[in-house]
Amino acid sequence: MSRKPITRRDFLKAASVAPFAGALIPVAARTGRASLPGRAEEKVRVVLVRDPSPLGPGGAPPAEVVQRMLDDAVRALLGEGDAIKAWKTLVRAEDVVGIKTNAWRYIPTTPEVEQAIKKRVMDAGVSEDRIAIDDRGVLRNPVFQNATALVNARPMRSHHWSGVGSLIKNYIMFVPRPSDYHGDTCADLATLWDLPAVKGKTRLNVLVMFTPLFHGVGPHHYAKEYTWEYKGLIVSRDPVAADATGLRIIQAKRRAFFGDDRPFQMTPHHIQLADTRHHLGVSDPHRIELVKLGFEEGILI
Amino acid sequence: MKRVAVSAAVLALLGALVLMTEPIVPGVQKLAAFIPPTIGSYVSEAGQTFDAESIFDYIDGAGEVYRSYNMKLLVSRRFHKDGKPDLVVDLFDMGSPEDAFGVFTHDLDGEDARVGQGSNYKAGLLSFWKDRYFGSVYAEEETAETKGLVFELGRRIDGAIPGLGERPGLLRFLPPDGLDAGRVRFFHNQFVLNYHFFVADTNILLLDQKTDAVLADYGSKDDRSKVLLAAYEDGGSAAKAGASFARAYMPEAAEKGIVKAENGKWTAVRVYDRYVVIVFDMIAERAATDRLDAVVALMKGRADRLKEK
Repeated sequence: MSRKPITRRDFLKAASVAPFAGALIPVAARTGRASLPGRAEEKVRVVLVRDPSPLGPGGAPPAEVVQRMLDDAVRALLGEGDAIKAWKTLVRAEDVVGIKTNAWRYIPTTPEVEQAIKKRVMDAGVSEDRIAIDDRGVLRNPVFQNATALVNARPMRSHHWSGVGSLIKNYIMFVPRPSDYHGDTCADLATLWDLPAVKGKTRLNVLVMFTPLFHGVGPHHYAKEYTWEYKGLIVSRDPVAADATGLRIIQAKRRAFFGDDRPFQMTPHHIQLADTRHHLGVSDPHRIELVKLGFEEGILI
Repeated sequence: MKRVAVSAAVLALLGALVLMTEPIVPGVQKLAAFIPPTIGSYVSEAGQTFDAESIFDYIDGAGEVYRSYNMKLLVSRRFHKDGKPDLVVDLFDMGSPEDAFGVFTHDLDGEDARVGQGSNYKAGLLSFWKDRYFGSVYAEEETAETKGLVFELGRRIDGAIPGLGERPGLLRFLPPDGLDAGRVRFFHNQFVLNYHFFVADTNILLLDQKTDAVLADYGSKDDRSKVLLAAYEDGGSAAKAGASFARAYMPEAAEKGIVKAENGKWTAVRVYDRYVVIVFDMIAERAATDRLDAVVALMKGRADRLKEK
């Protein structure tokens, strides 16, 4: 592949991100998540777990496989041998827990992932009446209105306006007018994480990579032809690091499919800006410790 | 299976009745009437209607594309047959043929499907425009049967829309020599421009919903260049936009209006009347100025003809 020179168009594209790119990043200053690094040399951990089991008609592996994948990922993420003990460091029995899911018709979070999370939240001591799973109804949902903890779970997919649908973007349902955040192709989605309903509450992020969408067409931005069975979950306490990792996989798939470095038509710059402009987390792969579990074939990263 | 089909048919009928009896704008009834209630052995569910505000409830952030083209209404209808992939029709009233054409040009990939006044088909998705309407027919899984039905639905809707629409007048200013007629986009704002061809992250061309713009590809894949035309409300606005572009994009040659970019190709800008004309990625300086001249000559010819009238 030939290397193209950097043009003034590239320069103008980078300009919106670059002023902050070299700065030392006070990560998680706004999220209140103490486990994230505060110095540039520290790394955040992201766990990628994959399982070769066949996917069911809903696009997920069998429920018991998903539970095992989630458990393995959380144990590896937190360095804890027992999954339930690990979850007990994430949520307390007295928490009110909202599991923010994604109900997009073509590639949802999947009930298997939702129930695997819910089971472990309950195992950590939270009673069922203090747990809710919701997407578009979060603003009206009493559990989400009173939530002290959130678990953020959604699939990654290419997106017509924001480049990719990401964990960062998944909180857009916490505002009454999502279109207010569409400016500059959703550049400042990270500010969603400063909303009172959200700020400092996220205990875990689960990026579902069972059948990611790497390219879209038409009003619904979907065609089955542009999905593939990756069979993975990406788990991290840092949504930006998880998104940046998922994005690298999607980009690798696009290179493999199209045979060139085809850019997203709408750049997913909200992920990088979540780091460099809004300090929500880490997007630089050099500052991400990626732990890989499960089968490696076609891993793309 | 039969019972499901009958139920769906009843649902479709009820949906149609709801559409006809609700105190809704006549445009919705008219739009819905272009979509047949059944196709093959598929029957449709009740239609859903969205406007420029509620479209986000249906297609999330992608609604920004249709808002960028001033959409008025969308009627969406899902076709179902037990055990088969659903078909989905989204029919938009864009308010004008120019915007129907424009939103169609947003995605030009695919094979010509010969439906409406322009169409393409790719991966189970048929898109077309006719008069002030833009249509999309989508099979949730592409099979030989669903592909056939998608085309049939498209043709039925095409046949039901009585009128034809004019393409945007700006297209007449594109010199035909070397033009890739299948890669011409019409739009209004910088977000859509950047979607097709990134120019800058800020709005250096001062584009908005009142500006009309065309981006056209010239040459072959290995020698691709572009022409961008933008029409402003008046000459003063065009002059301001041209100067803004030149200052930001070619600060070292803003007065001259032409520069050799880092990729060794030439970019040039010129303001004429209420238009800004820019050529990108021209292989030589002379070729860049020649193409600007050709565009302006077409504009002058049209201006002259208007004066004669």
